[in-house]
Amino acid sequence: MTNRAAFRVLVLIIASTLMSSGISNAAALVGDVRHIEIEASPVHALDELMSKYRRPDFIPFPASDAYTSAKAFLGRVLFNDTRLSSNGGLSCVSCHNSGFSYGDGRAKGIGDRMNPLDRRSPSILNSAWGDRFMWDGGAATLEEQVAEPIKNPSEMNQSLDRLVNALQEIGDYRSLFSAAFPDQSITSQTIARAIATYERTLVSSIAPFDRWIDGDNDAVTEPAKRGFALFNAKAQCASCHSGWLLTDDGFHDTGLPDEDVGRGRLFPNVLAMQHAFKTPNLREAARRGPYMHDGSLPTLAAVVAHYNQGGIKRPSRSELVAPLGLSQEEQMDLVAFLQTLTSDVRLDAAPAMPR
Amino acid sequence: MRCFIPIAAVLLVSPWGDAGAGVPDRTVHQKGRKFSVEDVTVARHEPIVFLNDDTVPHNIMSTSAENGFDLGSQMPGTAIPVSFSIAGTVVVICAIHPRMEMTIKVTD
Repeated sequence: MTNRAAFRVLVLIIASTLMSSGISNAAALVGDVRHIEIEASPVHALDELMSKYRRPDFIPFPASDAYTSAKAFLGRVLFNDTRLSSNGGLSCVSCHNSGFSYGDGRAKGIGDRMNPLDRRSPSILNSAWGDRFMWDGGAATLEEQVAEPIKNPSEMNQSLDRLVNALQEIGDYRSLFSAAFPDQSITSQTIARAIATYERTLVSSIAPFDRWIDGDNDAVTEPAKRGFALFNAKAQCASCHSGWLLTDDGFHDTGLPDEDVGRGRLFPNVLAMQHAFKTPNLREAARRGPYMHDGSLPTLAAVVAHYNQGGIKRPSRSELVAPLGLSQEEQMDLVAFLQTLTSDVRLDAAPAMPR
Repeated sequence: MRCFIPIAAVLLVSPWGDAGAGVPDRTVHQKGRKFSVEDVTVARHEPIVFLNDDTVPHNIMSTSAENGFDLGSQMPGTAIPVSFSIAGTVVVICAIHPRMEMTIKVTD
């Protein structure tokens, strides 16, 4: 009952500060906030909670870009080819290396002419299930996302027209494209569709957590089980890190003290989008440090400590990010849980390059 | 067996009361990070109510040129009415969870 009363007070406080509208005009009339009597729903059993984390059996491919082995093979070749960058020094693998769980292990990515980029290279594992890509969600689909780092002057700095012309000059590529897209020529669209198809095949393998979810009680340690309980309750991690990938594909200001406005670039008038970044999925988390969009936190323990402290207060910070009051042991239990998400990701050697 | 107090909450009382027989329900629920409807048609000046019966805050908004609005961060357990004075189509999203998308058709 105490929690319930506290929640009501919180609702009233927050509601009184609502309506700070950044987008409105005379044509849309927003009325007063009404408060609703609520109470907690029946207690969930552990197995019901666990079922929400069960991994799917199939990779989803969009009807507009269905899987074919020829397309995925071509995509893998393109993904590894440094000729996609203007100076011939960078391939997709430069920042999305299987040995680093398809990130690059750095706090910030390295772009054209070895210049550091503004944000950490995100892992592209499990992108098949994603929605709105890049840290700020600037690309609606994986196909859209593929072109962004290629043409970005800070990253691969490549003209798509020039890239298409260059690939057309390479006999092996003409054959590979012909096999993957029998009725189409080499275009920026077919390049993007091939790479996106390959990327969708990159999926985390079965982790100890999955074996536990499937009923192997000994697959994870007792601290990890306690960490899972904390993750879903006291620590509130699951408010954003939900489902088998442990993400809501949403955008939140998590209170990191940097100047990057993130998704605020796309929604300059929406308060909650200032300093908001995409919730990363947590598969392979233990092997994906350093962490956060700016690479500012070196370890999972530092990430948990950040959320326990609550980050810096500012108007855009998510209401879900606030001091948690976790003990040292509880924080260690959370890290133990996150470590159970590590699978045996298949290492991918570079294929022979088309000549 | 360890049990969990869910973050989930359920609605006990309808926020807008009984709309009456034959009157379409203009309440859009947000439970489970989903809008309860994909398309709604309303007349000009007729309020549509966004009810957060989910477990997390949402931020309902539209960048519609004529009928744009932003409810700001809306906490669970609150409901907010919105009405429109110009006919047209209004695409609505949750800024925080953009998988949540719906369309309101405003008619004369």
